[in-house]
Amino acid sequence: MARKKKVRAIAAMARKVREYWALKRRPRDSERFALDYATMSRPYSGKKLPALAHRDIRAESRLFQLLNRLPLFGIGRLLTKKSWLLAYDQPCYWAVSKVKVDYTAQDMDHGKAWGVLTFRGKTEDTVKEIDKVMYHDWRLVPKHEEAAFTSFTPVPETTIRYVPYPPLLRAMILAQRQKEGKPIGEEPMIDLERNRHFPKDYFKNLDLKKQAEGTPV
Amino acid sequence: MAATFLRQSARLGRGLVERAVTKRCLLSAAYLDSQKWDQRKKDPQNLAELAALMDITYEKKLPVSSLTIARFIDNISSREEVEQAEYYLYKFRHSPNCWYLRDWTIHSWIRQCLKYDARDKALHTVRNQVQYGIFPDNFTFNLLMDSFIKEEDLTNALAVVSEVMLQEVFDEQCTQLLSLYVLHKYRHSKPELKSEDERNLGAILLLVGLKQHNTVGFSSQLLGLALLGKVELSKGIRAVYTKMPLIWTPGYLIRALNVMENMVKASNGKRLCKEAVDAMATILETAATETSEPTVTDESQEIKQEAELDEDADDNEKSKLTDYLNKFKELYADLESLGKIEAESLLTLTDKLVKENLPSSEAAEILNYKKKLEKWEEEHATLIQREKELKEKARQEREARLALKAASQT
Repeated sequence: MARKKKVRAIAAMARKVREYWALKRRPRDSERFALDYATMSRPYSGKKLPALAHRDIRAESRLFQLLNRLPLFGIGRLLTKKSWLLAYDQPCYWAVSKVKVDYTAQDMDHGKAWGVLTFRGKTEDTVKEIDKVMYHDWRLVPKHEEAAFTSFTPVPETTIRYVPYPPLLRAMILAQRQKEGKPIGEEPMIDLERNRHFPKDYFKNLDLKKQAEGTPV
Repeated sequence: MAATFLRQSARLGRGLVERAVTKRCLLSAAYLDSQKWDQRKKDPQNLAELAALMDITYEKKLPVSSLTIARFIDNISSREEVEQAEYYLYKFRHSPNCWYLRDWTIHSWIRQCLKYDARDKALHTVRNQVQYGIFPDNFTFNLLMDSFIKEEDLTNALAVVSEVMLQEVFDEQCTQLLSLYVLHKYRHSKPELKSEDERNLGAILLLVGLKQHNTVGFSSQLLGLALLGKVELSKGIRAVYTKMPLIWTPGYLIRALNVMENMVKASNGKRLCKEAVDAMATILETAATETSEPTVTDESQEIKQEAELDEDADDNEKSKLTDYLNKFKELYADLESLGKIEAESLLTLTDKLVKENLPSSEAAEILNYKKKLEKWEEEHATLIQREKELKEKARQEREARLALKAASQT
């Protein structure tokens, strides 16, 4: 290249200062997720919330609106979502283990939380961050109902492996068998667990294999 | 003349003695004794200095340690300082360290409020636990409740019990007994109940009744579920479980009937109070007569659509009311034939229960309290130690920096 890049010390310092200011003035959870209940839009980003959620927003509460009333911000309590209650029969809940509250909120109703998820009866083994904390969808499981809520008898899953062919294809297969002179064996069935994913060069290799085998002489 | 005067003074004297005796004090003097609390190590600090320190720390947006606020509350010595402490508690709650507010600080705050006659302040902070971060433990709740019971201030005592309910800490026997006493005395005075009050009362009765496995417990459960069922029928299931520690599956009246059924099948010698069963009967009958009248709603289109979706669940309940009535009548007949209806009023039963069980549970709790005090002392000492070490480290670093600067200048 022509000449070395000039070292601009003041610009570098200005960049550092601007990064520091951005860190100090970063928007807290309470600002980002503040909601105007009249117009159902977020003042921070100006976006409107989806119309199907309006009913829930008026009726239900966010996670921290439930947690701020509990001692130790609800560590050790179980929390469900209304959407899970409607969608699944099996119990789905988060067991809260760690909480970081946004202290700039007036009613302490924003923040981040971590916990262990039990989804459709299966408990995971790692602590993860609870997502969708700001959704108006959460419900607290009362202590006296915890045992009844979490009791779950797993139903053994029955997965079907063999499925009959569609009628035309079945007819074609049976006709092929007849033409080749093979006896009509059992019903042709599709194996659902057969390797479904062909590698990219499978068909190219097929042609190559055919060429390698050569002509029958 | 002198004789009449003497007689009058004697009558007055007797009246005074009677009035002093009628002040019911449930917890024993040993429980309420603040000697052990006063005997712990004092850490005298100047409140003005602590206040100034906290103000500077908040202005610089640095975190205030829980030790500072603990020291502030321990050294309160007058009513005005109680007000200042309330302000600093609010500020601490809205600071990054809000999770670390210690148990002993909360206990100390309630004790100081009671000492300096600021009971309404204590109740206000406990009610707004969201804003002040005051989550007392059972012992502290018992102290607060007893001070209200002594003054026969049942509405405020009931407010304390509803806070215990909202936090679902009916774990200790003492708390359960005290709350049962407050509840049944309040009900006995037959107050005017709006539906929110009924719902609160029902929830408290249910939660306390679940812990007590005796006649009072089961009757309270039945009464609580009946009240909640009444609110469910009039306002819908959403009004029942919103902001309450209650489950959202509709059918509180069925659960009440299940309690009665369990009593019929159970063979543990426990009975149901006639009061509770009668209350259930009145609720079912009034509800059955009311469903024949149409409800008039005067809402906008959108809310009407939502209300229609909600009312589907409620309509199920209303249609089942006649079934409930019939089932109730059968169960009542069964209970009577088995002799499981207790004729005494709930109030007398609760009084008896409290008298019998309170002293024994108090002894256990006083022991626990002593152990807790020791644990708190240790924590306090570790915190002070840590603060000293941090200050020492900061001082050394500052001196090193100053020495470096002086060396570079010369």
